[in-house]
Amino acid sequence: MSVELVTVTVDDRRVQVPKGTGLVEAAQAAGIEIPVFCYEPRLGPPIGACRMCLVEIEGIPKLQAGCTLTVQEGMVVRTAQTSAKAAEGQEATLEFILVNHPLDCPVCDKGGECPLQDLTFRYGPGATRMRFRKLTFDKPIPLSPLIALDRERCILCYRCTRFSEEVAEDGQLVARNRGARSEIATFEDVPYRAPFTGNVIELCPVGALTSTLYRFEGRPWDTQEVPTVCAACPVGCNVTATIREGKVKRILSRNHPEIDRGWLCDKGRFTYPYLRAGDRITAPLRRGPRGLAETTWEEALDAAEELLREAGAGTVTALSGSETTEIAYALGRLLRVGLGAHSAVLPEATSDALEAFRLPLSAIAEAELVVVVGDDPVVERAPIVDLWLREARRRGAEIAVFGPTGTHPLGPGGAAEACRRLADPGHELGRRLRAAERAVLIWSGPGGGGGARVAELAHALGFEGKPGCGAFHLPASPNARGVAMAWAAAADEDEAEVEHVRLLFVSGDDAASDPAVRALAERADATIVVTMFHGLAAGWADLILPATGWLEREGTSMNLEGRLQRLRRAVLPPCPDELGWISELAARFGVEVSPYAALVYEEVAARLFRDLSLAELGLRAPLPARKPYAAPPPATTPASQPAAPAEEEPFLGTLRLLRYRPLFSGPAVERVPELQFQRPAREVALSEADAERRGIVSGDRVLLRSNGTSVELRARVDRALVEGVARVAEEHALDLHAEVEVVKA
Amino acid sequence: MPAEPLELLMAGTAEHDLTTLEGYRAVGGYAALAKARAMEPQAVIDEITAATIRGRGGAGFPMGRKASLLAKDRGPVYLVVNADESEPGAFKDRDVMRFTPHRLIEGCLITAHGIESRSVFVYIRGEYLHEFEVLRRALAEAREAGLLGDVTIVLHRGAGAYICGEETALLESLEGRRGQPRPRPPFPPVVGLYGRPTQINNVSTIALVPKVIELGAEEFAKIGVPSAPGTAVFSISGNVARPGNYERPLGIPLRELVYDVAGGIAGGRRLKAVIPGGSSVPVLTPEELDTPMDYDSIQAAGSFFGSAAIIVVDDRCCMVQLALRAAQFYMHESCGKCTPCRVGTRWLVQLLTKIEEGRGAPADLDLLDDVCERMLGKSLCALGDFAVYPVSSYLRKYRDEFEAHVELGRCPFGGESSLEGIVAPVEQHVHALPADAGVPEAAPL
Amino acid sequence: MTLSPETLRRIEDAQRLYPEPRSAVMEALRLAQAEYGGWLPPEALRDVAEALDATPAYCLSIASFYDMYHLQPIGRHLVEVCTNLSCALAGAQRVLDAFAAGLGVEPGGTTEDGQVTLRAIECAGGCGRAPVVVVDHRYREPVRPEDVPAILEELRAG
Repeated sequence: MSVELVTVTVDDRRVQVPKGTGLVEAAQAAGIEIPVFCYEPRLGPPIGACRMCLVEIEGIPKLQAGCTLTVQEGMVVRTAQTSAKAAEGQEATLEFILVNHPLDCPVCDKGGECPLQDLTFRYGPGATRMRFRKLTFDKPIPLSPLIALDRERCILCYRCTRFSEEVAEDGQLVARNRGARSEIATFEDVPYRAPFTGNVIELCPVGALTSTLYRFEGRPWDTQEVPTVCAACPVGCNVTATIREGKVKRILSRNHPEIDRGWLCDKGRFTYPYLRAGDRITAPLRRGPRGLAETTWEEALDAAEELLREAGAGTVTALSGSETTEIAYALGRLLRVGLGAHSAVLPEATSDALEAFRLPLSAIAEAELVVVVGDDPVVERAPIVDLWLREARRRGAEIAVFGPTGTHPLGPGGAAEACRRLADPGHELGRRLRAAERAVLIWSGPGGGGGARVAELAHALGFEGKPGCGAFHLPASPNARGVAMAWAAAADEDEAEVEHVRLLFVSGDDAASDPAVRALAERADATIVVTMFHGLAAGWADLILPATGWLEREGTSMNLEGRLQRLRRAVLPPCPDELGWISELAARFGVEVSPYAALVYEEVAARLFRDLSLAELGLRAPLPARKPYAAPPPATTPASQPAAPAEEEPFLGTLRLLRYRPLFSGPAVERVPELQFQRPAREVALSEADAERRGIVSGDRVLLRSNGTSVELRARVDRALVEGVARVAEEHALDLHAEVEVVKA
Repeated sequence: MPAEPLELLMAGTAEHDLTTLEGYRAVGGYAALAKARAMEPQAVIDEITAATIRGRGGAGFPMGRKASLLAKDRGPVYLVVNADESEPGAFKDRDVMRFTPHRLIEGCLITAHGIESRSVFVYIRGEYLHEFEVLRRALAEAREAGLLGDVTIVLHRGAGAYICGEETALLESLEGRRGQPRPRPPFPPVVGLYGRPTQINNVSTIALVPKVIELGAEEFAKIGVPSAPGTAVFSISGNVARPGNYERPLGIPLRELVYDVAGGIAGGRRLKAVIPGGSSVPVLTPEELDTPMDYDSIQAAGSFFGSAAIIVVDDRCCMVQLALRAAQFYMHESCGKCTPCRVGTRWLVQLLTKIEEGRGAPADLDLLDDVCERMLGKSLCALGDFAVYPVSSYLRKYRDEFEAHVELGRCPFGGESSLEGIVAPVEQHVHALPADAGVPEAAPL
Repeated sequence: MTLSPETLRRIEDAQRLYPEPRSAVMEALRLAQAEYGGWLPPEALRDVAEALDATPAYCLSIASFYDMYHLQPIGRHLVEVCTNLSCALAGAQRVLDAFAAGLGVEPGGTTEDGQVTLRAIECAGGCGRAPVVVVDHRYREPVRPEDVPAILEELRAG
């Protein structure tokens, strides 16, 4: 495919760019800056609001907003560099902007990295002619516990409201009033509560929207920036950690155009203070006669060695999906090679079958048809994927969602059955999937064999041969596949069943908070837990070793695309890192494991990744090529039938409890006070029909009962929810059973 | 010799009730529609093009050329009628709608046939409740009589925003957004309503179409001036003896409109200024009164034809007050999207307030001039320029009055100006939420 | 309070007129305002949002843009006096003053009994019959200061 090129002249420099290129980008290609405030191509079509980009175009008498133009063959453009008129125009714009902008740069968080400061320095007037009182507002006001709004600094570029309206589509942040009285606001000044709010801070070209967590915490000239990868969910958004005096001060997005396009969810952006949580474990703890007590590393490793030696092959390892590939591999070396303990509880099922249908996440935006199946809304499992889906819809794609709140309502657990039906040659939507050039399948929910079921569907639909068609599985944990692969690669022996668990080795907080792991701990003679926080294992571990967080780790992680990405240590952990002590323990069992992630990686890469080097992963990791389709092992249990739609039930039956793990949940989120408002309300969602039958309206207090357990929650009638279920966030569902009775309290 | 009142738009309204289908049919109404529907769509557009109907909304762009720019593909094409008449001084569309609604509907149907559109939206300003009701009744009649065919006409009511008269702001508003202009290009004929090719014309433009089809382009072109054939409804207001709407051929001298048609200056006062095209255009002095009222002539005189709304100002009026009141209007109506207009309109009001109150220094007049200069041509839409034209032209042509304010330290009219004490909406605290930016603060730092 | 079934039906009807239902927001706000006694309290914006499947913040952004939506309570009657150029030249200020004196409120204010809101407005399009006064959305033109007592009497009676 050849791209038609056009030649334009910018400030006497000729440059060839593809037809349709924006003028700002064309000038950039010529090495010339056209300054902008409101222009941000990721927010949709340009709006031409700020007028910073005024340029002179030969043949047009009036100055033009460069951001709104695309280049035409032979266009001759003059910016402020060579046109007095354009320079006057830009100075005028800056003078107008500064009429109301306060000169509080010394106490503004944006100072030093502020486009308005920079552009005023380069293009602005040296003195003000404005002798009237500037517009004043109460400042700063909380837009939410995470974001402070300073309306005096706001230059009304509308980037933030466009993000809310056109990208996240949350409809929360808007402009109100008109003209000089225009201002940014939420309805009734309620907190801006949505999964992606923090992006508006980065979009703001002035200090009008600032992070309450970063407020007065640093200046760009006394901080360091460490590029790494977010490990809060399986997307693996590329991020930059801002470090000052050895502490993470903020997380910024770092645009990987195929993964995140520079967007980041609030979980990834704002959970970093959990590293300094009050209940962080920094020294090993050992259970003695008076309970758990701090001990030295020396003693702790001796104790660990002793427990491991006693248990030997009777050790079972529970791994977290948030571990790095290197930690999982190193543990595999220690426990499998050193002890012959091959039994593991892996974080979740995984499958290689999807490698035949691999696509970058950005391909979703190009799709014409997307089918999502599963019990969970995409945003709760892999938030950025939700933004890609929204973009696809804006571009005209059809998005079919088979699930409890989907466009095709389906009871919980019905995803596998939906896949089976879609594979049927007679299915209407299935037929269109077969015919489509650009179609994407997404499994969003529990089950599915780690992607095996959706891979089978993709295979049945003939996606292998179509480069625009692909499939994704949204895992529950950030690196489940990397962990599983590394564990498997650590030794050649097969997994062995352990009848009597002599020692349970629990690695990481995800595993430590898994009820199944805890149940296993009750059957084990002894338990070693590697965890960051006191609360998680204090009640049941015999030995606790402190864990590190993802911002403290070197290593690699494989995201839901199957893309291996590199984590870089942004700050030193308050304790030795895992590889250090694993290496030491392994040595005691005669196994050599490097304490350095890069060296462990080399070993892993030799076995798993064809010696792909860390350098090749780079700052923006590439997506591996597709592999031939290998049929996955068939489902071990037959596809469960979705709950039958309630048919004319004469009386109020029970509802199926649909538990979901909200995006804003988990040990890290729980430890950041400013994030608490984002957590799900204590509520149960009911379908309109189920609510009506029970005489329940939104806001009512209701009781959920099952086998002697009961929970009181507020009801919310959800018009999109399928009948027959009561949807409750995991953390509010407590011990409720699968079937619940719902009555007004 | 005064031009005869030749009526095309308002033809028959003096003698008959044209608000009913029966009445309109009695004067030959809807015959042009039948004639047009018997023609090929392109032939209708050709006729409109040959007649050179220039847009009566303000910009004067030929309607036929607009239609020729419509992107052709398989999807829907929309016709949007701009009935958001809000230009201070203009009230012509209102009379067209309330006295001859069927003429507008007929124009819509002929144009829709020409551009092969089946969907027409009439965006009528929210304040025009009576006109909306008249139009709604007429539309129901036309629908019942089967005149609409497969065309739907939707009457969409605005809610009070001058900016929605700007065509792209109108489209935004119609789509359920804040009425803020879009950057152009792309122009509405390519990307318009709901992203589709869209023809947008003013009420008085569309309502001329039946006459063009009835008379034929050749006959139509004999009326008015060659560069702008036809008639216009001139809205004459201010200090004249007989204010009102008067339909006359284009090219009629301004003097004739003011003195012969509207009866000259009321109360035997002296003429001081004429604003020829609505408050947004540069002012003309009595010496410029012989300018013919057509697009090109008036532009040659340094102003604009605009919406043919002539505001006549007599010698009792303080020009600083008049400039301030105009500036207050544009500040109130600035949509807030682009920087120069949002900030500049407020700054102009602050400076003019200071000058009017006698607190201005000579440098403030230069600053006022310079702020105007810096706003001009920088805004996203024309409103930024509209806000400047009255201020900069009054300052240029009546500078002695501005200087007198500075020298005397007070208004030279000493409280006797016809605009003395006038309260502008922008000074009220009704609309904005919650505690708003407040009245422009004139106190120095 | 929630919107009446009749209003909801009319909002649905309005939505059907457009290719994109969001176009009905202006009509929906107008209907809600009528039902809520002439202004749009937050509950009204919530109701409209629900009817349109939009957010209340969106409805606020629209409602606050246009002059004819009221986000503060207004009187049972609304008296609007155009004070733009043509009306001003024809003595609109004396008419506005007469209303202000007769009602005992400043422009922008509402009488203590909540009966009448008085406000100055921008050009209403009646320049040829200036000054224009709009009473409860119906034009009176021209209105002279001496006409004001009769209009006030009418409002008190109705």
